[in-house]
Amino acid sequence: MEAQRQCQVQSVTFITPETFILRFSREGLTFQPGQYLSVGLAGHREQREYSIYSPLTADFLEILIRVVPDGKVSRQLAQTKPGDFLAVDGPFGYFLISEAQKQKPFLFIATGTGLSPFHCLTNSLPTLNYQFLHGVRHQEEQYGYADFDRSRLVSCVTGGGGDYQGRVTQYLRDHEWLSETQVYLCGNCDMIYDAFDLLKEKGIPSSQIFTEVYF
Amino acid sequence: MMKYFILNLGCQMNQSDSERIQAVLRQMGLEKTENEEEAFVRGIVACSVRQKAIDKVYSKIYEWNEQKASKNLLTFVSGCILPADHEKFLKKFDLIFSLQQLKDLPDMFRQYGVTTPLSTSLEREETEFSPLMGGFWQVKPQYSSPFEAFVPIQNGCDKFCTFCAVPYTRGREVSRPSNEVLEEVQNLVRAGYKSVTLLGQNVNSYGQDRPGQELTFAELLREVGKIGQREKADFWTYFTSPHPRDMTREVLEVIAEYPVLAKQIHLPLQSGDDKVLIRMNRNYGLDRYRDIVKDIRSILPTATLFTDIIVGFTGETDEQFYNTRLALEEFQFQMAFIAQYSPRPGAASYRWEDDVPREVKKSRFHELTDVLLASSLAYNQSLVGQTLRVLVDKPDRKPGYWAARTEGKVAVRFPSQGKDLTGQFVNLRITQVVPLSVEGELVPEYAGQL
Repeated sequence: MEAQRQCQVQSVTFITPETFILRFSREGLTFQPGQYLSVGLAGHREQREYSIYSPLTADFLEILIRVVPDGKVSRQLAQTKPGDFLAVDGPFGYFLISEAQKQKPFLFIATGTGLSPFHCLTNSLPTLNYQFLHGVRHQEEQYGYADFDRSRLVSCVTGGGGDYQGRVTQYLRDHEWLSETQVYLCGNCDMIYDAFDLLKEKGIPSSQIFTEVYF
Repeated sequence: MMKYFILNLGCQMNQSDSERIQAVLRQMGLEKTENEEEAFVRGIVACSVRQKAIDKVYSKIYEWNEQKASKNLLTFVSGCILPADHEKFLKKFDLIFSLQQLKDLPDMFRQYGVTTPLSTSLEREETEFSPLMGGFWQVKPQYSSPFEAFVPIQNGCDKFCTFCAVPYTRGREVSRPSNEVLEEVQNLVRAGYKSVTLLGQNVNSYGQDRPGQELTFAELLREVGKIGQREKADFWTYFTSPHPRDMTREVLEVIAEYPVLAKQIHLPLQSGDDKVLIRMNRNYGLDRYRDIVKDIRSILPTATLFTDIIVGFTGETDEQFYNTRLALEEFQFQMAFIAQYSPRPGAASYRWEDDVPREVKKSRFHELTDVLLASSLAYNQSLVGQTLRVLVDKPDRKPGYWAARTEGKVAVRFPSQGKDLTGQFVNLRITQVVPLSVEGELVPEYAGQL
């Protein structure tokens, strides 16, 4: 973990009325794809954790944020303007892909903004053999799809209009997966619990299941 | 002489921090008192782990501020403080300082018009303070025991377990420079200390904040082991608390190699259910924990194993609790610190519904306690007839007996023979046992020396 940095906001891009990409200066921060940062306004004591969305190669950092209605930090960050300063700690986390795993097949599963670490992973490690299931309620939540290999991405939209109508867990149930598949789950805890049970039923050992729960 | 009173709340880390705060107060010419009524300076080393501890801070400062109408008092607060409480404490206490700001305490006192005989001595050394923790670790502590010491090796936490607020109160993991740690250990050993505990929120992630520039935890332990060899000293070194994710075979192998590294491992499990562990953001599963326990049993066959468990964590089902029970039965811990879950302000889980009824938590607590008592008793029975080396702590509650503990931290008592053995190693033959403690008698060759 490196010391706290003061990073300058470069842009705030709203994808939906509640979700935005916050881009800020990197200030020499090094990280591994899949890690997260603790971010807040400079000079304020409160910070929250957000997965890194931008790839390793970018000379900036991006995080994907959904504004939490009662949240303090997400609302503050949504109101930042280019030039504002952020307090950034990190990187943290163990949602990583080891060298030994890289040649194996991956199944990435996310709900909502849980897509963020996979956006970073797939754009940082382009040779990964992966399939990505992304679950959302509405089509407008299909964040950053242009940056993914679309043939590897299955958009599971419960409201219809995606590649698959239904939950990611239903898709998971309806398909077979290789026993050596390395499964990475990111998003809300209920989805992760359901997927965890299904994967174990399908013979994927828990040692091959990696989780990052969004709270 | 101006007197101070200090109220310590919370864990061993806070106790250790308090020893350094007290050392600075002493250097400033203040004298400690246990009677707060006679203290002009009154301080609290706060803990944010439970709401109860926070409530105690508010209650105490309310009381002190009431007394200010008729008394001249200077109040301060330090320790583990959540950002939200920090703002409120600013209005209630005269001084609030982080551990990193401890060196500025004389200055802070002066701003309140309080000058002390030695209040400038720290200032002169300011340029020599390490940037890590603002030189906090360089303050020589006022140890509260003449034979047992706690040595901080790390501060803060990067793990973000959802039930814990430490990352928000103590900040990020910072490792104390190993040369400072080893110097403090060596000084303690030379002063005759018999028990040294290396402290950190995630003690075995030591060095990970400065990879390649600082020793790893295993390397640090090895250096402590070498101090034992070099000094030909007789002491036990413990560490707490490690995180299972960072526990390596190398750490266990180093412990096996050096007699001064105590054969006792405290490895918090928290839950025996993989899904609860996911919700807790512990970053390991039961299989990983099981692998570590296998390593401990094979590399350190005589080691005792302690753990921490939380029952009734948000959403914990009967089945998930049952998995924890099975884990306790499987791992046969010698001690488990079992807590009924209560939401901790500032932690991620504080935002979730605390949905396991109190009665259910209580019943789960008792069920696990029964399992613990059984495994403890089974282990203790295996000690009967053995001669064990123990470190004498203090007179026991039972008149005429001393309280001691084994290298594995099993509580022992034995009949005294009229001599004060506090802080000494003695050999005991274990004669009878109950769960969680044993009783013994001094072996003849030692008893003969009395």
